[in-house]
Amino acid sequence: MPHPPITRRLFATASVAAATLARTGPAQAAERVLTVGASVFPDSLLPGSSSFQSESLLHQTNEALFERDNGGNIIPALALSATQIDDTTTRIALRPGVKCHDGGAFTAEDVVFTIAYVLDPKNAYGTLARIAQVSGAVAVDPLTVDITTKAAFPTLLKGLSFIVMQVKRYHEKVGVKGVTARPMGTGPFMFVKWSAGDRYELTAFKDHWGGIPAFDRLVFREIPDAGTRVASLVSGETDIIEEVPVDLIPQVAQSGTAKMDEIVSSAALVLTYDVRVPPFNDPRVRLAFDLAVDKAAIRQEILKDRGELLHGQLLVSGTFGFNPALQARPFDPAKARALLTEAGYDFKTPIPIVCQSGKYVSDVDIANAAAGMLSNIGVAASVNVVEGGVFLQMQNAFKMGPIHMIGWYSLGDADFANVWYTKGGRRATWLNEEYERLFVEARSTNDRAVREGKYMRMAEILHEENPSMFLVGLPSLYGVGTRVRNFGAASDKCIRVAKVTLA
Amino acid sequence: MLRYVRRRLLTLPLSLLLVAAVTFCVLRLTGNPVDIFLDVNSTPEQVAALTTRLHLDEPLPVQFGLFLWDLAHGDFGESLQTNAPALDAVLERLGATLELAAAGLVVAVVLGVALGLACAVWRDRLADLVIGSVAVAGQSMPSFWLGILLIQVFALRLHWLPTSGVGGPTHLVLPAVTLAAFLLPNIVLITRTAVLDLVHENFVLAARAKGLSRTRALVAHVLPNALNPLLSFLGVQVGTLMGGSIITETIFAWPGIGRLMLASIYHRDVPVVEAGVLVIATGIALLNLLVDLMQMLIDPRIRRA
Repeated sequence: MPHPPITRRLFATASVAAATLARTGPAQAAERVLTVGASVFPDSLLPGSSSFQSESLLHQTNEALFERDNGGNIIPALALSATQIDDTTTRIALRPGVKCHDGGAFTAEDVVFTIAYVLDPKNAYGTLARIAQVSGAVAVDPLTVDITTKAAFPTLLKGLSFIVMQVKRYHEKVGVKGVTARPMGTGPFMFVKWSAGDRYELTAFKDHWGGIPAFDRLVFREIPDAGTRVASLVSGETDIIEEVPVDLIPQVAQSGTAKMDEIVSSAALVLTYDVRVPPFNDPRVRLAFDLAVDKAAIRQEILKDRGELLHGQLLVSGTFGFNPALQARPFDPAKARALLTEAGYDFKTPIPIVCQSGKYVSDVDIANAAAGMLSNIGVAASVNVVEGGVFLQMQNAFKMGPIHMIGWYSLGDADFANVWYTKGGRRATWLNEEYERLFVEARSTNDRAVREGKYMRMAEILHEENPSMFLVGLPSLYGVGTRVRNFGAASDKCIRVAKVTLA
Repeated sequence: MLRYVRRRLLTLPLSLLLVAAVTFCVLRLTGNPVDIFLDVNSTPEQVAALTTRLHLDEPLPVQFGLFLWDLAHGDFGESLQTNAPALDAVLERLGATLELAAAGLVVAVVLGVALGLACAVWRDRLADLVIGSVAVAGQSMPSFWLGILLIQVFALRLHWLPTSGVGGPTHLVLPAVTLAAFLLPNIVLITRTAVLDLVHENFVLAARAKGLSRTRALVAHVLPNALNPLLSFLGVQVGTLMGGSIITETIFAWPGIGRLMLASIYHRDVPVVEAGVLVIATGIALLNLLVDLMQMLIDPRIRRA
């Protein structure tokens, strides 16, 4: 086919096209993308999952009435304030002028709908237990909702921070499958594409009540292997990565393209005993084990001085209910051995420490270190690493063996962690009447000072009784590219990027 | 041959039934999926609802009967995690795994056959020794280690290739090479041995006597006959290839079926695990049939037998 002759008109058309391309080219190139490397994705965007990985994704499109900040403090989000009308009614004032991604307004109707949806057991909402004491919600006017509870519910606002608001009209139109396939809410980012196991793409919501995000596109990538995740950060493929393993911190810190950002999470790593049977039904044995393990050395050598040495209690410092009067017991292997001998402990008893691999930072290393220290005083300790599903099965059947490793999140409030040592927690073999009573009393009042006093006493009981060996408050470790500004490591491990700017 | 294919296809459902029965039993033997799947804080109502949904309140034989009934209708149920059809979740990820496996297989076969041929041609010479040593070293190196090494060199130091993920042909290179390294050493050794066995056969000597060049005789007469042991090996290795791809998918953040299965097993997402196992089993069975047919086409002796 012969080429058309280059006429003046063709030349003009080509020039215009070239000029247009020249204009659009740089504009596209200037699109600012923030890429986050996540360690694991939830299998879907189904609202209600309690994992922090799920929350990190869900809260980009759908917000809660109250959110948690990186320190775990409750901050207003879709709600401006909460007022206690009586012991069982809380009036929520909604933020005016909040727009949804479909352009419609967010109103009290959406709150009432969401709460009703969460409370309906048919919907198997994962984080229902966070607001289990809520009995319902009633719209007073378009910007006011009354939330009623079965009894006083001091952790209501914290519980609500786990419940992302759905848009009633959208949910009714597309159903839960539609909402899961394409979430729509009020969040700072709008859904673009979900590729299971690969990436989650979002775009900035220009009408967000909190201001327009400083970048155009947000991409979460699932990169399960920690080494690859670090490599992606160092090579500049990702801007932020979570769950940096302790041994790869130097690679990030020395890369010149990224740096570390970390915070003490609210997760307390403990070794819990089965106190129903010997040898741990004897408090002296539990005390001896506590003395035999050098927790400070574990923190220093394995966590490289990261995280926090637990102060002989379940809560990390700064948590509501933390008892500052308590300290971790000093490492004293001689006294530990003497105590065991005095208790008639059989040193031939096998003590396997059951733990999971990769569930918590350096979990297997810490278990090995503890087993090694126990071996040094003659205890026949070993480590038994089990698969996550098997661990849960053992836990549900109360067949964890003599010691198992577990991390309990307090999320800034003693109530959330203390529950695991009560009947209601369905996890403890150690039960204590006074502890149980104090827990119920603390949960049944909205008086903060009264609650705090009870939690202090509960911490003392745990310290005296040693149902677990309190090891360390785990660090939350992120790698952050040098062009990223205003990102903060979060104590609850949720990734918050709405305020991030790129240099 | 058609009768053979028909017979193999007719026995396929029996094999799948066996796989389904084993999967069903194993999933129930490793704990109550409700306890494992639901949040530790779940309410008794939630436990009851999921128990009913999974028919776990029925006796085990009834559960198995219901499972088979649904299976016969191509219904694996809905994923507990996504509420979407379990089979869809598996098929959505199958493409990525097939892409990776195919790329790995092509790299392994092309390179492996070429290197195996080179070893045979230059038997006991330097090339043979070097290739053989590299093959043994490759076989001894675990996939995860090789993957990390490749990322360090080609992504971090040389900046030639991306570290992970999907996006274009460049994203496929490192995972495909890692996966290929899994099979390559055996292919090299099998090709070498098969070629060396064949070069002294009468039909090769006859071909040379007729004036065919050494290369032509190798390519036209020796190589096609050397393919049979290679195909037998690949038929057996299909399952292993799937296993290897799980590790490769994890290292390179490749969104394949292997990672889906791992996550689903961890969460005891029973419908997805059952669908995934059956899809993989069907794939392996069909690929083995394909290998058998190819061998029959290549070697008339097998066809006649």
